[in-house]
Amino acid sequence: MSMNAQSRLQEILSKGEFAVTAECGPPRGATPEVVRKKGELLKGYVDAVNVTDNQTAIVRMSSIAACAHLLQMGLEPVMQMVTRDRNRIALQSDIMGAYSLGIKNILCLSGDHQSFGSQPDALNVFDIDSMNLIRTVQTMRDQGKDMSGFELNGPPRMFIGAAANPFADPFEYRVIRLAKKIDAGADFIQTQCIYNMDRFKEWMKMAREEGLTEKVHILGGVTPLKSAGMAKFMNNKVAGMDVPEPLIKRMAGVPKEKAIEEGINICLETIAQLRDIEGIHGVHIMAIEWEEIVGQIVESAGLTPRP
Amino acid sequence: MIVAEQKPLSEIKEIIAPYKKILILGCGTCVKTCFAGGEDEVAVLASALRLACKKDGKEIEIEKLTIERQCEDEFIRESAPAVSRSEGVLSLACGAGVQALARRFAKTPVLPGVNTTFIGVMESQGIFTEECSGCGNCRLDIFGGICPVTRCAKKLLNGPCGGSQNGKCEINPDTDCAWQLIIDRLKALGQMDNLRKYIPPKNWRTSLSGGPRKLVREDHII
Amino acid sequence: MYKVIHHQTKTSLSGITRFRRFFSGHYTTENLRMLTSAMDKKFIPKITVFHCINAFSQTSWSSVDGSEFEIKFIKLPCSSMVKDVFLLRAFEAGADAVVVLVCPEGQCRYVEGNIRAKKRVAWVQNLLDDIGIDGRRLSLSNIAAGDTAEATQIIDDAVKNMAELGPNPAA
Repeated sequence: MSMNAQSRLQEILSKGEFAVTAECGPPRGATPEVVRKKGELLKGYVDAVNVTDNQTAIVRMSSIAACAHLLQMGLEPVMQMVTRDRNRIALQSDIMGAYSLGIKNILCLSGDHQSFGSQPDALNVFDIDSMNLIRTVQTMRDQGKDMSGFELNGPPRMFIGAAANPFADPFEYRVIRLAKKIDAGADFIQTQCIYNMDRFKEWMKMAREEGLTEKVHILGGVTPLKSAGMAKFMNNKVAGMDVPEPLIKRMAGVPKEKAIEEGINICLETIAQLRDIEGIHGVHIMAIEWEEIVGQIVESAGLTPRP
Repeated sequence: MIVAEQKPLSEIKEIIAPYKKILILGCGTCVKTCFAGGEDEVAVLASALRLACKKDGKEIEIEKLTIERQCEDEFIRESAPAVSRSEGVLSLACGAGVQALARRFAKTPVLPGVNTTFIGVMESQGIFTEECSGCGNCRLDIFGGICPVTRCAKKLLNGPCGGSQNGKCEINPDTDCAWQLIIDRLKALGQMDNLRKYIPPKNWRTSLSGGPRKLVREDHII
Repeated sequence: MYKVIHHQTKTSLSGITRFRRFFSGHYTTENLRMLTSAMDKKFIPKITVFHCINAFSQTSWSSVDGSEFEIKFIKLPCSSMVKDVFLLRAFEAGADAVVVLVCPEGQCRYVEGNIRAKKRVAWVQNLLDDIGIDGRRLSLSNIAAGDTAEATQIIDDAVKNMAELGPNPAA
């Protein structure tokens, strides 16, 4: 898949171990303690931690900085990078800067549109898209050249990730897009959180048929639900999310005090099912602003201790 | 055509406040088609401003004129006598027209009466959609005649993104996902292979990003 | 030119009684203020009626409840001929209220003329609000051809509204 990436996540996946990654959202401010606290909650339970990049276009501490704080604590970060806010000059610059700090994993995304965020008046960039970004990192790593063909003084040997959403439309095109991302240079894929397991299994089947699971490590995304309201909100208000009606009913069917427990149960069931799907090499737990639950989930899923 | 929308009356009132004698200058091309600044719209605006000023006890004298286009000096010249009679010209043309007027009439304030928005088409009577952002490097041949630079909110060349749902864009349930349209169209044309091709980063030098553009046709200059 | 319509009764009415008949709504402070100023100047509302000749063709008029007003009729071959600028010009000419009478939906001789009129009237109502002279001065009503009683009621309602809205502040 790649040469000499030296990333711990890459090592675990190459060895065929079931990887566990989680997410950490940086604070809306300059306080590093917030990042360190989240890091403490995740340490020992995950192989790598994704650090989001101004997620939902809400201004937060930069991903590269928050990654650096996690590195100092001995955690391995996955730096998320969106193309919404930075042009190719800034992106390549940050890729090199990140690697120089010791960040070895990158997740390449387009990013949520700024109209959703805290500063919708801002001008967006989208100089290049996520596909171009994947290819750019691959070229920098494998050829040691930037986008202008300049030979870099020290290539960034990043382990390259991309996102996939089996729940967005059009369905039949999603696997073609996955193939395209792999061709562009993706080493690993993290999917959007899974609630509709049938649809996900269908997508995985198509991916296997195309031979894609031989070429890339796919980590299935999960997010524990906290309430029926959260399930409904995600289904109706979040683009590209599919929460089936039976699941919403299941959450609504338990008393309020038991909702979280039920949500965690559903999450554990999903993880168990993921471990049985051919081609799934890990799980990506997105417990947004609920990092403390990750440890419990990983333990209950029987995924501790981490290698 | 260039699509524009007339500014709200309250904003226009503020803009013309310093003047007692104005010329409302309409344009008979793009803004007429999108009902922002043609002869009819000039008449309505003049009447509305007179009523508003009368109500506020403000004096105003309004002259009206509509010329073929405000982006060509040949037509702008025709308005010279009317312009000289006014203290200020409220132009209902697009931003290009307002600036062309300002070039010729250096001593008369030229004021914008519409907000110019986009290059687009009239989808059906009364509905106008943005189609082209003038990137200067057209590849509509690859994309089945649907522009992802303009009509995809993220300008993706290798779309769609993960927010496309039910053929709609994540930013607005009324906005079609351009990539869904592209996929449907390429399917109909039997050109789905185009979707497997990796499209490299766009060269933005030919767009506004490279600086304001100029076209010089020597073969037409004498 | 405006025609002045007078109440058709033989009994002579005092000025106050005439006004009581005229302003038949409840009296708010706003109304009272307008009443007093109207009393000084005797506010006789000026109504302009745009009508499609297929919906309405009467030219003489008698008020139902004795209200006083001046009325002007503008005939159109189809209500779709009601251009925005004509409606505004009616107010510039001094109208306090403008009534547009069109055929019932689905019965327009020219198919959608009355729909176009409805859309334009709605547009101009908003514009009148922006101008500050109150979009309620302009109204559109569908009437069956020749239904004089309905037309009379509509016009009388428009006159009654003038009690609340007062004279056109831009006249």
